[in-house]
Amino acid sequence: MVLSYTRNKYATTTDLADGSLLVQAVLKDTFFAGTVEMKVSVPELEIASLTGKVERAFNSECQEAVPLLQKAVGLQIGTGILKAVNGLVGGSGGCPRLADLILECIDEVVLRFTLPSIGEKQSKNEQEQIEAYRELIRQHPRLIGSCIAFAKDSPLLKGLELEK
Amino acid sequence: MSTLTFTRSKVVGVECPDKKTFLAHGILDDYIYALELDVEAKLPDLEITNIQGRWKRFTTTECPKSIPKLQNAVGLRILEEEFGRKVHRVVGKEGCTHFANLLVECCDAIVQAATYGEWQELKEKGIAPGKEEYLEEKFKAIPGLQNSCMVYSRFARRGK
Repeated sequence: MVLSYTRNKYATTTDLADGSLLVQAVLKDTFFAGTVEMKVSVPELEIASLTGKVERAFNSECQEAVPLLQKAVGLQIGTGILKAVNGLVGGSGGCPRLADLILECIDEVVLRFTLPSIGEKQSKNEQEQIEAYRELIRQHPRLIGSCIAFAKDSPLLKGLELEK
Repeated sequence: MSTLTFTRSKVVGVECPDKKTFLAHGILDDYIYALELDVEAKLPDLEITNIQGRWKRFTTTECPKSIPKLQNAVGLRILEEEFGRKVHRVVGKEGCTHFANLLVECCDAIVQAATYGEWQELKEKGIAPGKEEYLEEKFKAIPGLQNSCMVYSRFARRGK
């Protein structure tokens, strides 16, 4: 059976010489092709610039959505960013495809800063890894309940005392 | 010199074994995680009828326990309101946020295939209607489509 539809989405993060990040997200599917390029200031994690293009779409009018990207410039990556991006760039008055590519870039930034600590934990033995995750939870208690690993009854959290 | 410090790729393919069934196969691969999903959804409301997932690379000893939580998605309808939010709750928070991310990607791919796939078939046969005419029919068949973006909201206003 041949495919009716195919999608390829990829994103890359590059650390620039001035300390900021350049993130690119590309979506190419059967009916749409588009790109978003985001520059993020560090350590503020503020969206410093956004450019993008719609290379191919079912409707030619989709090109008109590209200027909407500018509405997300100045947002800080943190709590509430998903709702802000969907409200400013996506939704019935915007373009959900471009909003989704911005959110893909934001995921990249978060994961880029998560990666070094994950690598560090994996170089430890099992007990040391558990303690490292407990320390992570102590520092970021809002991770509790964010996934099965950090569920309240998870062995990783067993006996963990949090400062109130 | 600037260096590449993170990449993530997501690839989804959708097959249609019959007029009402969509099968999506998706993979997510990044510097930290690698995982895979097979999702089946059926018209008219694109209800998820089957889902299977596999881990290739993960971070904690608890991550594999997220696999059974994928079954929480069975019965969800892709076209229902707040679908993405429900997935992030019952598959993400109760299981794994990366599986939830890939599931939303697979389901969006299914919606795209359901929306535009027929037009491509008709075009290949040389009998495709005009795009606006085609979309008017899809607006009736796919709830929420006509208010999903600025271009379709404009079409819908023009149609009134």
